[in-house]
Amino acid sequence: MKTKKIGIAVLILLLIVAFVAYNMYNKPHVNVSETSSDITITAAEILNDFTADETSANAIYLEKIIEVTGVISDIKVERQKGIITLKTNDDFGSVLSNLSDEATKDISSLKVGQTVTLKGICTGYLMDVILVKCEIIND
Amino acid sequence: MKIFTTLFCFFLFIAISNGQEQYLTKNGAISFFSKAPIEDITADNNQVLSIVDATSGKMAISILIKSFMFKKALMQEHFNENYLESDTFPKATFKGVILNFDTLKDTATKLQVKGVLTIHGISKEKTIEANFKRTKETILVDGDFIVVLDEFNVEIPAVVEKNIAKQIKVSFNFNHTPYKK
Repeated sequence: MKTKKIGIAVLILLLIVAFVAYNMYNKPHVNVSETSSDITITAAEILNDFTADETSANAIYLEKIIEVTGVISDIKVERQKGIITLKTNDDFGSVLSNLSDEATKDISSLKVGQTVTLKGICTGYLMDVILVKCEIIND
Repeated sequence: MKIFTTLFCFFLFIAISNGQEQYLTKNGAISFFSKAPIEDITADNNQVLSIVDATSGKMAISILIKSFMFKKALMQEHFNENYLESDTFPKATFKGVILNFDTLKDTATKLQVKGVLTIHGISKEKTIEANFKRTKETILVDGDFIVVLDEFNVEIPAVVEKNIAKQIKVSFNFNHTPYKK
């Protein structure tokens, strides 16, 4: 009787462990549109932070959800993904925002010269600050 | 790592300030493929910066490790935190010279690029063969090569030995266009 009880307890425990492990393995990606942004900033400010000191800017911005506002200087779609370039004061650098699949569908609502707020995940700085999985935020 | 970044910026600066014939893409694609007994893993990065200097045939590529997108969030997390340690080494770079670049025409040609590949803070000399094609408005480059994880001190724990290949196939596709300010 006692061994049976222990057996059942062990079985339940194993099931819980398996369930937790399975869920961890299939953990979903961060949902950008449903997560509140960590940092709200303008395109010029974030680029300036990266050009001034890349290492410390990396520590502040990388993998954070950033809401960035700027004027659109270029719109294009490459490999079915929308890419919005936000203008800055810098001659060479800008903020390159790679839209999510959902946001790419709404890309026609955007125009060059328009001020827009995008929310995405910052992955770093090359010539430009790179944001991925961006959503278009409507005011 | 910082020295590489500085060098890269320096190269960029030289490249830009000389005002020579620069071809560039900010949306180059790199993906990798790991084939192991338990699972196949792929990841894509569509934000690769690649510059070709058409006068000297030099090529410079810069890749953000955190820009690699995986199907599973957990894999992406492990890739960044445990294997590539992207907080410490946020970028991978390749700098090299395209051999016989001046022979390149508007037909697809296989050329070798000899240079230094830096991943995970480790630099290795590497010669990579790629398909090149040059038209008036573009320089197209694509191909693939193998990265041996051991060479770049990327350690795969024994527990996931059967999940991750020791040799990773890396594919690239760059569509360079003339650089204008």
